[in-house]
Amino acid sequence: VSNLLATLTIGTGALAAEQGALDATANNVANVNTPGYTRKEAQFIENTPVVLGRLTFGTGVSLEKLQSVRDPILQLRIAQETGQQGDLNAQVAGMQQIETLFSGQNSGDIGVQISALFSSVSQLSTDPADVALRQGVLTAAGNLATTFRNTATNLSAQRSSLDLSMTRTVAQVNTLSQQIAKLNGQIITLENLHQDAAPLVDQRDVLINQLSGLIDVSQIKSDTGITLTTSNGAPLVADDKSFSLTTQLDPSGVQHIFSEGNDITTQIDSGSLSGLLAVRDHKIPTLLAGLDTLAAGLANAFNSANTAGSDLNGNPGGNFFVAPPVGSQGAAASLAVAITDPAQIAASSDGSAGSNGNLAAFSAIHDQNIIGGQTPSSYYGNLVFGVGNDVATASADLQSSQLVLQQLQDQRGSISGVSLDEEAAHMVEYQRAYEAAARVVDTVNQMMQTVIHMGTT
Amino acid sequence: MSSIRVNPNILPDLLSALAGTRQQQNTATIELATGSRINRPSDDPAGAAAMVANRDQTSEADSFLQSASSVSGLLQTADSTLSSVVTALTRAISLGVQGANGTLSAADRSDVASELSGIQQQLISLGNTSYQGEFIFSGTSTAQPFVADPTSSSGVTYTGNAGTNNVAAGPNYSLPINVPGSQIFSAAGADMFQAISDLIGALQSNTGIANAAGEVSKAFDHITGQRVFYGNALNQLQSQTNFLNSQKADLGAAANTISAADMATVATQLTQSQVAVSAELAAISRISQNSLFDYLK
Repeated sequence: VSNLLATLTIGTGALAAEQGALDATANNVANVNTPGYTRKEAQFIENTPVVLGRLTFGTGVSLEKLQSVRDPILQLRIAQETGQQGDLNAQVAGMQQIETLFSGQNSGDIGVQISALFSSVSQLSTDPADVALRQGVLTAAGNLATTFRNTATNLSAQRSSLDLSMTRTVAQVNTLSQQIAKLNGQIITLENLHQDAAPLVDQRDVLINQLSGLIDVSQIKSDTGITLTTSNGAPLVADDKSFSLTTQLDPSGVQHIFSEGNDITTQIDSGSLSGLLAVRDHKIPTLLAGLDTLAAGLANAFNSANTAGSDLNGNPGGNFFVAPPVGSQGAAASLAVAITDPAQIAASSDGSAGSNGNLAAFSAIHDQNIIGGQTPSSYYGNLVFGVGNDVATASADLQSSQLVLQQLQDQRGSISGVSLDEEAAHMVEYQRAYEAAARVVDTVNQMMQTVIHMGTT
Repeated sequence: MSSIRVNPNILPDLLSALAGTRQQQNTATIELATGSRINRPSDDPAGAAAMVANRDQTSEADSFLQSASSVSGLLQTADSTLSSVVTALTRAISLGVQGANGTLSAADRSDVASELSGIQQQLISLGNTSYQGEFIFSGTSTAQPFVADPTSSSGVTYTGNAGTNNVAAGPNYSLPINVPGSQIFSAAGADMFQAISDLIGALQSNTGIANAAGEVSKAFDHITGQRVFYGNALNQLQSQTNFLNSQKADLGAAANTISAADMATVATQLTQSQVAVSAELAAISRISQNSLFDYLK
């Protein structure tokens, strides 16, 4: 029935549709700076036409839905790369604090102290009975021992502080899991009622991203929501339920991470937890072991040298450093000079006080390949190289990861981001269409007036 | 819409570019301030390890130089002591020649003998010369090496030992720094104290004066020969010092090559990064100032 009322209905329908579309634009503009916001596009649909005989009459327009423009695959890649970045960030931050201990810029550096000890021995050889020069050797040895202990203590302290960061990060993971589970529940409820859950989905994407920055997350989408696990299968979120990770002090003295009773400490592949654990459980222990080997090697070599000679009083020499622990574990942290009396340095090879013959055995240590097949100084040089190389590699990886992430964010922005130009254009479109529809209503109104007044004049 | 949609929000990209440029600016500033391009091991891991070796070698060269300088003092003291010994012995020889010409009265011979006793005392004291508190002709012993001893035929006993010390003055290079007093002054057949003591006895008894004077000459020749050791050692130390100094210069040059910042380049980098920072700041201040909204009434 093509009548004026039908035309009026088309006009008012159009008014409603355009106004709804303008709502979307208004919401997009309002959220232009909201992190994680996904823009919405108005999707119009032509109403089913009516066929009357040979004629087909349109019945106007409806606003079918406000579609969020999102790319779930891209969202996944962003989450993965965020995890990678969190991992590298934590590694770089942790290692940068360590590398200052090996910078060689100050006298606190072990390398400098090793050189100073050999220098003092060299000075003593010019006047082996001189007590001041003997004291100089003891002081240099004491400084070396202190530097070893300080460096080892600093590394251990660094390890404890990483341990603390790890515990806090686990707490953050748990909070995020709970929030995501809660959102999952709300999203499922809304979707069951066929209502728009887009704002909650946006929020969930933001939280999953944050979670990926902390721990490796793999996502499984199902009809009822989303399931998150670590890549090794430890559950974090299943639909509207979350699973807490717990930490527990390991006999090794650091916290381990447990999921549902399983120790997953060694199974975390990305996120800042992975970076923290890499530095705590791999980099620092390796460095400490290197320092232990160096300290024990030096102590043993100096002890052999000192016991081979005789001291200022003609007595056979004893241990120079306190004997390092068997297996050298903890040698750096416990390195100490055993001799307290400068006279006990066994400089003499023939038992007489003025002989310096045995000091050659001390000096020779400088060039002997006694520590892992290297001289003490080159072994230390390799430790420095290792630390520097770890930081440099992680920093370079971090930079490229940042570029990739930026690229992905750009891509996300180009799909889901709000463009004010576009919104302004849409606004003009919807406004004009609204005005036009209003004219239609106005015209129908006039035509109705015409019909109503027909015959009254 | 057919055209490619670009990311409307480029602020994060600009901010990260700005952070990167600021990082470059910081690095350049630190390099300018320290003059070194390796300020932490990660700046150049291989270079940092090379600097550990370089610092160690430099410290070693420094300590060799310091040893060479202290040993030089010792050697010079020994050499000049031996020079005084030679002078004293020259005087003893001329006194012996004087005594041997047979024209001296008993009183004159007694005067000569007492002058020789004085020389003997002087020689003992020279043999007991010390350097920085340590006797230099006592071998490796710290005891006073020459002690007057009436029971000994020469009147002097050597209480030092026959030990020698070596001092390292370079990598794989060490040199002996002393000759035991027993070898210099009281070697068998050339014992200076014995020779003087014999000469005094000969003058007092007026027999065998010429023989005794000949003994002193022999001791004189022996000591002159021993003195060459110290001259040689000093020469060797001098050339070693020159070598160490040039080695230190080489190490310094190497350290420069490894770690010194190229000031001209760094200064240019600093300027470039400053320009870049201003440009990026300007860009950030301009974005999102304009959108289509500005042109709609």
